Parts: sequence; structure tokens; C-alpha cells
Amino acid sequence: MLDLMLRSLLIAGLASLAVVAVGVPFARLLARRRGLWAELLSTLVLLPMILPPTVLGYVLLLLIGRGSPVGQTWEALTGSPLVFTPAAAVLAAFVAALPFLVRAAQSAFEQIDPHFEDVARTLGRTELDIFLRVSIPLARRGIVGGAALAFARAMGEFGATAMIAGSIPGRTQTASLAVYDAVQAGRTADAGLIALLLALLSASILFAVGRTGAR
Amino acid sequence: MIALLLALGCRPEPEACVPPVVLAASDLQHALTELGELYRQRVGCAPLLSFGSTGAYTSQIEQGARADLFFAANASFIDRLQSQALLHEDSRMVYGTGRLVLVGSAAPPPSLASLTDPGIRYLAIANPEHAPYGLAAQQALQASGLWEEVQPRLVRGENIAQTWQLVQTGNADAGIVALSLVVESTPYTLIDSSLHEPLVQVAAVPRSAEHPQAGRDFLAFVMAPEGRAVLQRYGFGP
Repeated sequence: MLDLMLRSLLIAGLASLAVVAVGVPFARLLARRRGLWAELLSTLVLLPMILPPTVLGYVLLLLIGRGSPVGQTWEALTGSPLVFTPAAAVLAAFVAALPFLVRAAQSAFEQIDPHFEDVARTLGRTELDIFLRVSIPLARRGIVGGAALAFARAMGEFGATAMIAGSIPGRTQTASLAVYDAVQAGRTADAGLIALLLALLSASILFAVGRTGAR
Repeated sequence: MIALLLALGCRPEPEACVPPVVLAASDLQHALTELGELYRQRVGCAPLLSFGSTGAYTSQIEQGARADLFFAANASFIDRLQSQALLHEDSRMVYGTGRLVLVGSAAPPPSLASLTDPGIRYLAIANPEHAPYGLAAQQALQASGLWEEVQPRLVRGENIAQTWQLVQTGNADAGIVALSLVVESTPYTLIDSSLHEPLVQVAAVPRSAEHPQAGRDFLAFVMAPEGRAVLQRYGFGP
């Protein structure tokens, strides 16, 4: 039970870190761009929220599966396939969680008064410096809120994970998958216990993030 | 005269066909879809078919899901519902016996023993915890003394249709799936049915049914010679 929780935490944690690392710069980019491409990208990033999880899983299976260019490159580099590994579970959680952060961070960046960034520019700061020291601190609340949502979504990720990570007990089975399996098998007591632990664990992490992020 | 007119006027319209809501084990995906279409042609209304894992549907019916007919891939799930008085017991019928087959993303493995070949990195089976074909696959592997050895290669689909997808997309090298899913499209190797408990396929009308008669009518159609012939063609044994 403990290792199930730790595995879930690790998978969702890594996915959330990747979401922040990729999603924040991406949100900044989208925030100040207008036009066809920006709108298209904004919409594309939301796709995982729209698609039913099992469909998302099937699409991912085709995109990163062993027959795909991505899957084959990964297999050539690491010597083992990407599907049915914990890395695949992280990827599923990442794709499902990304839109939540991008949407929140994008609107936080959009609300920054552009004068602050312009002032920094007149002081000779580089764009990277401005992004790190002006834009991000000003958008902090939106980013933290989005990251919390993304983490929650990653903890609860189920459909795509089942499909590309294979729900292998002890290896790629997450707590959310274990709850589902237990319910289907009629082991309601197990299901209740795992669900309770999952809820407590996620809620306390979200609470802690909220407290530190708001300061 | 007046009585006659009244009688004529009150004569009920020819009864409109009520489409039954049907939950079915996903090994029936192809067979039941064809039977549903036949039913529409013969009777005038198409059943509303949902396919999924037998265990999942059993839990849903326990929680009060409304369905006019339930096709389970194994009798034990019907027994579980019956023991809770959740079924119209007289509606219970065996509609066939399921068979397991070996399939491969390339050529099908010639035997269970060949699953230990190094070329087979991943072997897909349905989740034995709640999918009858998964449990039967586990039993067959255990009976052949291969269960321990294939453990590190096992990946589990949530139901038998998803398990088949894992093989079809080339992600699992081999899989153990239902004959009824592949019989028309893919080469396969039959697995000796004495290696696992028989997959007795049972259907029944749940007590939660809104239109139990619609469920009974469709089941009767499936059990009639024409329906049975379709089931047989998809590899269901008698």
C-alpha cells in the first residue's frame, strides 16, 4: 500500500515538474501573441481536456508506441520500449495535466501590466532575466494555482495511464488505477481505503502548496 | 353495434418495438453488433448496445444501473448478481462458450510454451481480477507451468477488447484474447480449453430493467437458430 502511494506520488510529482518546466514558458509565449497560430496552439493544448481519457490513451499509444518514430527513437536510445514503463505513466499524466497549468498561467501573464516589463527593458535587462525576475513573480499566483490543478489532475489520471502504462502491479499501477481495479473486482473495502489515502495525500499536498504559494 | 365500434376503436395499435438497453462483455463486440442489426431488420428496433468488462458491469448493476439485458463473459458474475436477487432468475440463459486464442503483432505464437521466447517482450492479457478472459488466460498459463516465467512480460488490458488493441497496435508482441474478437480478421492459435475453467457465457435480465420484456425478446432472438448461427460463426461454442 505504501509503495503504491509512493509510486503515484513520484509519477504525479515528476509529471507536475515537467508540466511547470514546459508549461510556464509556453503560457508566457501564448499570452502576448495574437493571430492564427497562437489561437491554434492555445486550442491544441486543450485537446487532452476534451478527449475522453481512453481515446487520449489510444492516441498516445499510436504516437509513442513501439511502431511510432517517437517510440522507436526512445527504444534505440534506451534499449527498452517507452510503453508499459513508469516513464509512460509520467508522460500520460503530463499530457493530461498540461492544459490546466497553461490555461491558468496564460491568463495570469495576460493580466500583468506590460509597463513593468518595459521598465525592466529600459534598465537593460535581458528578456530571459525579465521573464524570470519580473513576469514570473508577478504571475506567481496563477502559476501556483495552475500547478496545483495540474498535480491534482496528474494524481487522478486514469484512462490514458491504463492504456500506455499497462497497469502492471508493482511497476506502473498507480493508486487511481488500483482503485478502479479494486472496484471492478468487487473489493470495495480495498477501493475505499486506497481512495481515502489518495484523497488525504493529495489534499494535504495541495494545502501545503496553497499556503506557501500564497505568501 | 356500438360495442363493436368501441372494440374496434380501442384495439391497441400494433405494439411499437421498445429498443432494449443491453450491457455486454466486450468479447461480444462483433457478434452482438451484427445480431443487433439483424434484430432491427426483423423486429424493427435496434438494441442499444454497450460493451465493457463483465466485472465492471456487474458492479454497476449492483449499484442499480438500469439495463434490460446483461451478457456476461462468465457465469460466476451472473451467480454473484443472482445471489443478491438482482436478476429475473427465469430469464437466465447460457448463450455460448468462449474460447481463448493466442495472437501476435506479427505471426501468432504457435503455442503457449513459445511465449517464453526472448522475442516476446510483452504479453497482453485482460486484467484477471475482473475480466473473465484474463482469469482464464492466467489459469491456462498456470496449468502450463508458465505463469511465473511470463510474469515480467505481462501487461494488462482493462477488458478483452483493449487487450486486443495492445497487440493490434504492435505494442505487445503477443496476447491472449477471445476467439470471438479475432475470428474474422486475424490468424490465431487456439488454446486448449481444458487448460482453464470453461468460459460459460450467461445472459440474464436484471431486476433494474426498465423494459424487461424488451430484454427478454432480444435474448430470445439471440437464442433462436438464426441468432445461434451468428454466435457460432464468431467462434462461440454451444
